[in-house]
Amino acid sequence: MDNVVVQKLIAIVGEDYVSTRQDVLLAYSTSASMSYDTVLPDAVVLPQSTEQVSEILKVATQYKIPVTPRSGGSSLQGEVIPKEGALVIDLLRLTEIEVFPDLRSVTVGAGINFGKLDKLLNKQDLWLPVYPGSSLTATIAGNVAVNGSGFGSSQFGCIGELVLGLEVVLPNGEIIQTGSEANPNAPGPFLRYAFGPDITGLFIGSLGVFGIITKVSLKIFKRMHHFDYNTYGFNTPQEAEKFVIQCKENEISPVWIAIYEGRILDFFLEMVGEEYGVPKYEWPPITVSMVIGRIREDQLESDRAEAQRICVEEGGHVIGIAELPKGEWDDRMRELARSSYVHGWHWRILYHHVTPSQWHRTIEEMWPLFDEFGVLGHTAGFQSDHSSYNYYPQIFFDPQDAEDESKAKAAHKELVKRLFKTGAVPFKLAPYWVDGITEMEPYLNFLKDLKEAIDPNGIMSPGTIPGIEGED
Amino acid sequence: MTTIDLDELLENLAQCRRCGICRNAVYEDKGFDGVCPVWKNSAGFETSFMRGRIQVALALLDGRLEKTEENAESLFSCTLCGNCTSICAAEFDPAKCLESVREVLNEIPNAVRDTIAKKILENNNPYVDENKTRRDWVKEVGFDIPGTGEVLYFTGCTAGLKLPETAKSTAKVLNAAGVNFAVLEEEPCCGSVMIRTGMVEEAKKNAEKALEMIAKSGAKKIVVTCAGCLKTLREDYSERFGLDVPEVLHMVEYLKPLIESGKLKLKKSSEIKKITWHDPCHLGRALGVYEEPRDILKAIPGVELVEMETNREAAMCCGSGGGLRSYDGNLAKKIASDRIQDAEAIDADILATACPFCEHNLKDGANRIGSKIRVVDILDLISKQLQ
Ligand SMILES: Cc1cc2nc3c(=O)[nH]c(=O)nc-3n(C[C@H](O)[C@H](O)[C@H](O)COP(=O)(O)OP(=O)(O)OC[C@H]3O[C@@H](n4cnc5c(N)ncnc54)[C@H](O)[C@@H]3O)c2cc1C
Ligand code: SF4
Ligand code: SF4
Repeated sequence: MDNVVVQKLIAIVGEDYVSTRQDVLLAYSTSASMSYDTVLPDAVVLPQSTEQVSEILKVATQYKIPVTPRSGGSSLQGEVIPKEGALVIDLLRLTEIEVFPDLRSVTVGAGINFGKLDKLLNKQDLWLPVYPGSSLTATIAGNVAVNGSGFGSSQFGCIGELVLGLEVVLPNGEIIQTGSEANPNAPGPFLRYAFGPDITGLFIGSLGVFGIITKVSLKIFKRMHHFDYNTYGFNTPQEAEKFVIQCKENEISPVWIAIYEGRILDFFLEMVGEEYGVPKYEWPPITVSMVIGRIREDQLESDRAEAQRICVEEGGHVIGIAELPKGEWDDRMRELARSSYVHGWHWRILYHHVTPSQWHRTIEEMWPLFDEFGVLGHTAGFQSDHSSYNYYPQIFFDPQDAEDESKAKAAHKELVKRLFKTGAVPFKLAPYWVDGITEMEPYLNFLKDLKEAIDPNGIMSPGTIPGIEGED
Repeated sequence: MTTIDLDELLENLAQCRRCGICRNAVYEDKGFDGVCPVWKNSAGFETSFMRGRIQVALALLDGRLEKTEENAESLFSCTLCGNCTSICAAEFDPAKCLESVREVLNEIPNAVRDTIAKKILENNNPYVDENKTRRDWVKEVGFDIPGTGEVLYFTGCTAGLKLPETAKSTAKVLNAAGVNFAVLEEEPCCGSVMIRTGMVEEAKKNAEKALEMIAKSGAKKIVVTCAGCLKTLREDYSERFGLDVPEVLHMVEYLKPLIESGKLKLKKSSEIKKITWHDPCHLGRALGVYEEPRDILKAIPGVELVEMETNREAAMCCGSGGGLRSYDGNLAKKIASDRIQDAEAIDADILATACPFCEHNLKDGANRIGSKIRVVDILDLISKQLQ
C-alpha cells in the first residue's frame, strides 16, 4: 500500500493500530471459512470510534482502495476474506454498550460479541434471545451483516428481526443513523420502521457491501427461566414437519426445535452424546428435539401439555429423553463448534432456509448428491423463525488432501443449484448463491443499481456479492 | 535436532478451524471472561491471539512466510498460559502445539531466547554469574539445612535469587511441621524456560545434569514453591526426556494434609482480611491443582477467601509465562496490571499465589498502576501464621 495512505491511516488511529507487516497480513488473509483460498490484504487498521471509521473510509474513497470490514472473523463462507490489495478494517475496538431498560432495547458497538452482551444483560435478568453457535466469537454487528440466527431463533426469528436501528458509515465516510434514533431527540432505540422506507434492512445481510455498521440497536427481553426439554419421535418426515408447524401455529413457545433424521442423530450423538449425558436409545426414523421456554411456569405447563397432545395427534410419540435438547440448549454458545470440530473433519457449509413443510426436500437432495460426488457429510438445522427452518449441510474433506477438497467444492456448488430449485433461500448473498441463482434478474439488477448509487467507486467488499457489481 | 514429529504437529495444527473463540470469548456458564491476555492488553491484531499465531506458524513451517525474527514474533509474544486450550472446541491443544512450533523453528533468530539458554547452561541460572549465592538465604533462617536428605526443597532460580523471602518462609514452615529437609549445595535451574522457548535439546542436557545433582542428595521426595519447577520436574522430565524423577510436590500439595491433620497449626490472622487466590497457569490449568491452596487459605482462622471474576480453568494469566517477561517486559507487566485490577474489582486486600514468577510480575503490575493490593506468596503468608 502506498506509504502516503499508510501515513494517513496512522494519522487517524495512531501508529500502534496500523499494520502492513507480512505476518499480520497473513493472519488477516483467512477466517473461520474452510476451503476458501487465502488472500493477503495490503494493510490492516483498528479504529476505536465511529469517527475514525469515517475518516478511514474517506481515505479509502479518495484513493479508491478496496475495503473489507472485519469483526469476529468467524464467518464460514469466505465473506470476510479480503480482496488483494485491500484495507482490512478490524472493528473489535468498538466496544460500547448502552442498555435502555425502559425501551427494552440495547445499543452495542461493532466489536461486542454475543457472550459479552449476554453476561451483561444476565445481571439485569434480560437477554438478547438469539445465540448463534459462534456466540463466543461472532459479534452482533457481524451477525447482523450476515443476518444470522441461532438458539432462540425458533421463537424470536433471525437476528434481523430484533434490530431496531443501525449506525452506519457509508463508503464516502458519511455517518447515518437509522430507526427511531435518527431523531436526535429520541430517548433511544424503540422503533425500526421510522422515517419511511426500511433503510435498516438494507444493511442486514449486506455483508458490508453498502457500508460499515458501527453500532447496532436491538430489542431485548426479560430472561426466561422456565424450560421444558423433550424429544418426540415420528415415523415419517411429514409427521415431524406437521408437528413443528402445529406447535408454532398453537403459540407454543419453542426456543429451540431441531429435526433429526435417524442416521444424522446417531452421528451427532457419537460426537457429543456422552458429553451431554444422552442415554442409549433406539431412536425412531425422525426425532424432534425441542426446548420450550417461558417467562411464567403456568405458561410452560400449558405449552408442555399442548406439545405432547400435538405430537400424538400427528402420529408421533413422546420419547421423553430430555438430555439431548438440554445438552444442546445449555451448550448453546458453543454447541455448533463442539459438534462440528470434534470429529476432526474440515467441511464446507451451505447455510439456507426452507419452510418446515419442506424440511425433507433438503435431505432428499443431499444424500444422492453426496453419493454422486463421492463425498461424506451431514446436515444440522433448526427452526429459525415464524415459518422457516435454517439448514446447514456440511460437506467433509481432509484438509491435507487437495483432491478430496476439490470434490467437496464441486459438490457444494451443485447442491446450491439443486436447493434453489426446491425453493430454498439464502439469508445473505454469498458468492456461491449468486452463481446458483437463476430467474431473479430484476431483483439482482435493482441491487446492482443500489450498489452503484451508494458505493460508486465499488470500494466496499468487492467480490463479496459478485452479481451486484459493475462490469470492471 | 528436534524431538517433535512434524507430521503429527501439522495434523494437530490443522485441527484449528480458525473460529476465533480463543480471542475474547465471554462464557459466563464456564467462567470465561475474556481468553487471551496478550490480545486483551495489546493493540489487538489477529497475530496477538492463538488463531493468528497458528496461521503464522503454519506459514513459517510451509515456507509461505520467511523465517525472520519479525515474522516469528507472534510465536513468542505468548505466555503459553493455556487459556486458549481451556476453551478451544477442537480436538487438540493449541498452546502445547505452539510450544512445539517454537522448538521446531528454533533456528529462527531470537536473541532473548538464546541469551537465557546460554546463561542457564553456563551459570545454572538465568539471572547471575555466581550461582552459589542462591543458597545465601539459608544463613538467615536460624537453623541448619543440610545438602542431602530424603525430602529435598528445590528452591528454584527466582525464589533463590530474586525472592529469597519465599525460600526462607518455606524453610520455616517445613521446620515448624517437623520435616527434616535438604537444600542442594549448588542447585541447578530446572530448565523450564528453555523448554517453553523451544531450546529443548539444551533443556535435556540441563535436565540430565540437574537430575544427577538431585540424585546425589538422596532425595526420595522433592518439594517446590515454583509452579514452573513443578510442571517441569514432574511432567517434562519424565514425559519429554524419559527421566526417572522422585515424586515432586508443590508445597501447597505437601502442606494440605499436614494442616488438616493438625501437624501444622495456624493462628488467627489479625491483619489479613479479604484474600484472593491467583491460579498460576502451570499449577492450575497445567496440573489441575486448584483446591489445595484454597483449602489452605481457608484454614487460616479469620481469612475471608474471595474469588476473582476468572479463576481455576478460566483464570487469566499473570503475564510472565512462556518467556514473555523477558521477551516483552512491558506487555508482561501490562497483563499483570490487568490481573491486579481483577483483584481490585472484588475489593481484595491481598492477592496470594504460589509461583515466584507470578508474584514478581504481579508486584510490578501492581506498582505500575499504583495499586494498594499486597501481592504475596502463600508460603510467606503461612509462615506468619505459624503457632
Ligand atoms: C463454530 C461456528 C458456529 C457458527 N454458528 C453459526 C450460527 O449458529 N448462526 C449463524 O448465523 N452463524 C454461525 N456461524 C457463522 C458466523 O459466526 C456468523 O457469520 C457471524 O455472524 C459472523 O460474525 P463475525 O463478527 O465473526 O463477522 P465476520 O466474520 O468478521 O464478518 C462477516 C461478514 O460481515 C461483514 N462485516 C463484519 N462486521 C461488519 C460490520 N460491522 N459492518 C459491516 N459489515 C461487517 C464482513 O465483511 C463479512 O462479510 C458460525 C461460525 C462458527 C465458526
Ligand atoms: S485454537 Fe481452537 S479456539 Fe482458537 S481458533 Fe483454533 S479452533 Fe478456534
Ligand atoms: S497460551 Fe495464553 S497467551 Fe498464548 S495464545 Fe493462548 S491464551 Fe493467549
